[in-house]
Amino acid sequence: MTGTSAPPNLRGLVSESAGGDYGATGFHQRHTAEPGHIVEIAKRFRESGYVLEMMTCEDRREDLDAMRLVYTFNRAVADRHVVFVTLPFGGEAPSITGEFPSGDWFEREVFDMYGVRFGGHPNLKRILLPDDADFHALLKDFGRIEDAEGGGE
Amino acid sequence: MPETLHAIFANPFVAVAIGVGGVMGVLAFNALFCIWLERKVSAWIQLRMGPMEVGFHGTFQTVSDMVKLLGKQLIMPAGVDKPLFLFAPLLVFAGVVAAASLVPFSKSVVIANLDIGLVLIFTFGGFAVIGIFMAGWGSNNKYALLGAMRSVAQNISYEIPLILSALSVVLMISAMGRGYDTGHGHTDLNGMNLAHITLVQARHGIWFVLFQPLAALIYFISTLAETNRAPFDIPEAESELVAGFHTEYSGMGFALFFFAEFANMLIQAMVMTVLFFGGWTGPLLPGPVWFFGKAYFLVFVMMWIRWTFPRLRFDQLMTFCWTVLIPLSILNLLVTAFVIKAT
Amino acid sequence: MNASQSIMPELERAPGDERYYLNMGPQHPSMHGVLRLLLTMRGERIIKCEPIIGYAHRAHEKMAENRAYIQFLPNTSRVDYLSGMIYNIGYCQAIEKMCGIEVPERAVVVRVIVNELNRIQSHLLWFGTFLLDLGGITPFLYCFDDREEILSILDRVTGSRLTYSYGRFGGLTRDIDETFTEQSTAFIARLRSRFPMYTALVHDNIIFMERCKGVGVMTPEVCAQYGVTGPCLRASGVGYDVRRAEPYGGYERYDFEIPTRTAGDCLARFEVRMDEMEQSCRIIEQALADLPDGDVRPKKLVKKLKPPVGEHYFAVEAARGHFGMYILSDGSDTPAKIKLRTPSFSNLAAMERVLEGTMVADTIATTGSIDIVLPEIDR
Repeated sequence: MTGTSAPPNLRGLVSESAGGDYGATGFHQRHTAEPGHIVEIAKRFRESGYVLEMMTCEDRREDLDAMRLVYTFNRAVADRHVVFVTLPFGGEAPSITGEFPSGDWFEREVFDMYGVRFGGHPNLKRILLPDDADFHALLKDFGRIEDAEGGGE
Repeated sequence: MPETLHAIFANPFVAVAIGVGGVMGVLAFNALFCIWLERKVSAWIQLRMGPMEVGFHGTFQTVSDMVKLLGKQLIMPAGVDKPLFLFAPLLVFAGVVAAASLVPFSKSVVIANLDIGLVLIFTFGGFAVIGIFMAGWGSNNKYALLGAMRSVAQNISYEIPLILSALSVVLMISAMGRGYDTGHGHTDLNGMNLAHITLVQARHGIWFVLFQPLAALIYFISTLAETNRAPFDIPEAESELVAGFHTEYSGMGFALFFFAEFANMLIQAMVMTVLFFGGWTGPLLPGPVWFFGKAYFLVFVMMWIRWTFPRLRFDQLMTFCWTVLIPLSILNLLVTAFVIKAT
Repeated sequence: MNASQSIMPELERAPGDERYYLNMGPQHPSMHGVLRLLLTMRGERIIKCEPIIGYAHRAHEKMAENRAYIQFLPNTSRVDYLSGMIYNIGYCQAIEKMCGIEVPERAVVVRVIVNELNRIQSHLLWFGTFLLDLGGITPFLYCFDDREEILSILDRVTGSRLTYSYGRFGGLTRDIDETFTEQSTAFIARLRSRFPMYTALVHDNIIFMERCKGVGVMTPEVCAQYGVTGPCLRASGVGYDVRRAEPYGGYERYDFEIPTRTAGDCLARFEVRMDEMEQSCRIIEQALADLPDGDVRPKKLVKKLKPPVGEHYFAVEAARGHFGMYILSDGSDTPAKIKLRTPSFSNLAAMERVLEGTMVADTIATTGSIDIVLPEIDR
């Protein structure tokens, strides 16, 4: 992480940006982007000295009828940018492993838990669940406690 | 009656049987005591108590451990080379016991006082190396083989400074050992006879460690490596990659290796006592008391070092031997020879 | 792809190719937890290293979605049981920030004290186990002797030795008393008197130096590529500490340094952690000196937590690095999602790069020096 570098210019890559609510949410800047642009966005962040802090996914099929990927970029002098990428269920997102090797394991975990595939990933296989598991654990319709008594999964 | 007894004891087979039995008895008792001592010393260094239950301060703990090991099932994994696997611990054990028969405990107590005693001690050490490699190969286990190879490389490398520093003492004997009467008809003492080495130190009232401090230090470090003690215990390290050459052994086989390691440590300490610390010499107390006292002090130092230092990486270990110890011991030998020639 | 295929894939070898697989773990007598390192080797050199995790996966994130916020509180300690207090209180702080809950002054300061005690305890355990991996068995016993003091102190106050549920949303469960202050002060004095011994016997020992100097170098570039944080990052020269970068929980009041080194090898990581223990002692002393009066329990008992809808992120500096919680709330009293961004996950991912080309004998030293806790990687 480098110290005081300017945030990247993401014009044209993100559909909306908002900021200034760090005190309430912990994010200095929020962006929404399309899946196709995420690699270029990651590249701009990397070139500006930011680090991929975290990457995860949300199962938003109930309210958004899609999955949503969440990328967080940060640097040593805190400036946390979060990028939300909406993806249709069953869709594929490009892998940012080429820009950030840390994406390798984060994306494997998202694949493992949510079933989202990443195009161009060097080694997309399960990471936490057993290799021959046939379920994706963090999907909302998997293994809810209320269903356990009704025969279970 | 006395004639019959004398005839029985004069019978070479009986004499050998008594000798072997005596050696094994003394060795067994001392090795078991050594194991208990190791546990107590390590506990003391580590702010613990050590064995306390079985006997006063756990003195019978080792006995019960040995009984337990003897009663265990001998597990032989599939694919082992049976003859090698079974014979390896015996070879290691036999080498150690044979070496014990050459060590002089006092002026009159020595099982076999041979003129090539020192050479034979090192030879029997070599048996142990073969035994270790047999164990590693015969186990049919990648890790045991790696451990055995490292152990063999370490042992044969460190034998060189061991022998070279012992040779410095031998040279001194040949210079100082003229005109003795040992009661066996010798007049010139032989440097490779362990009893003679002690006699020279007794006669002059000195310990060779004062004349050969560097050789003593090199010999001590090489002894640590020969007995696979820390900081040279890569072949046996539990937390390293390989679990050691005796991974696949259980019960009796493991007991033999374990026992042989401590017996080896004890024998090496005894040889070092003879070479550098005057053997059985000492005022007031009888010879064997001094002898065992000095040997056990060296054993204590070995244990102390084991529980204080981390272990060396294998390549650092080999580098240390070949680039530091061997040149130093050669240098020491040359200087000794030069000084002897000059005086 | 069936399970047996993935356990040990076939190594296609051309004639003359002397590569072979060496599998370290998941059951291993060294101190790393259930980690499996699949090493492709040639001779003693590692060509490729693949850490394989997942053996300790306990579905904490799934549990978070099935429980109310307060019911998830005990889980947080178990994620990284060695920094249990920091994680537990960090989760409380995240919820407090999200919902705008105020914390009494005294609770803020007591939280700092117990957090730093927890950090010292974690580093002491790491110190002992690191030496144990290297073959020096004795320091382990001495470190645990010191650590016992901390565990007893915290046990008296919180009721648990290792996995705490001491925090509540808006404060703490129970207050500390005079005995706690005396014991903590005595402990700090005792620990400081031990440091010279640890330095003389361990750090200045030539064998230890040889095993650690220049071994397992992590450059700042590798750290940036893999998101490495904590003492590993600080040992590579980057002075990033969440307590300074995004101050929280009262840390901005105290005067402490962020120790850094530039070498990035095992020795540097060792020195950083030893210095951090000293800095933690400083923080505890300052906190004990100006402990405000009052109550530590939450001012208002929140019966039903109704957090605002949306995404929230909060990070604390755990013993191993940057621990972040990403919480997605749908307005109900059960989170829609909690993602635990644990430091060891990223630190271990960097091992792929760091161990390439090194000797297998250094694997133990390197993996031990980055201080990973498998349960926090697998959650």
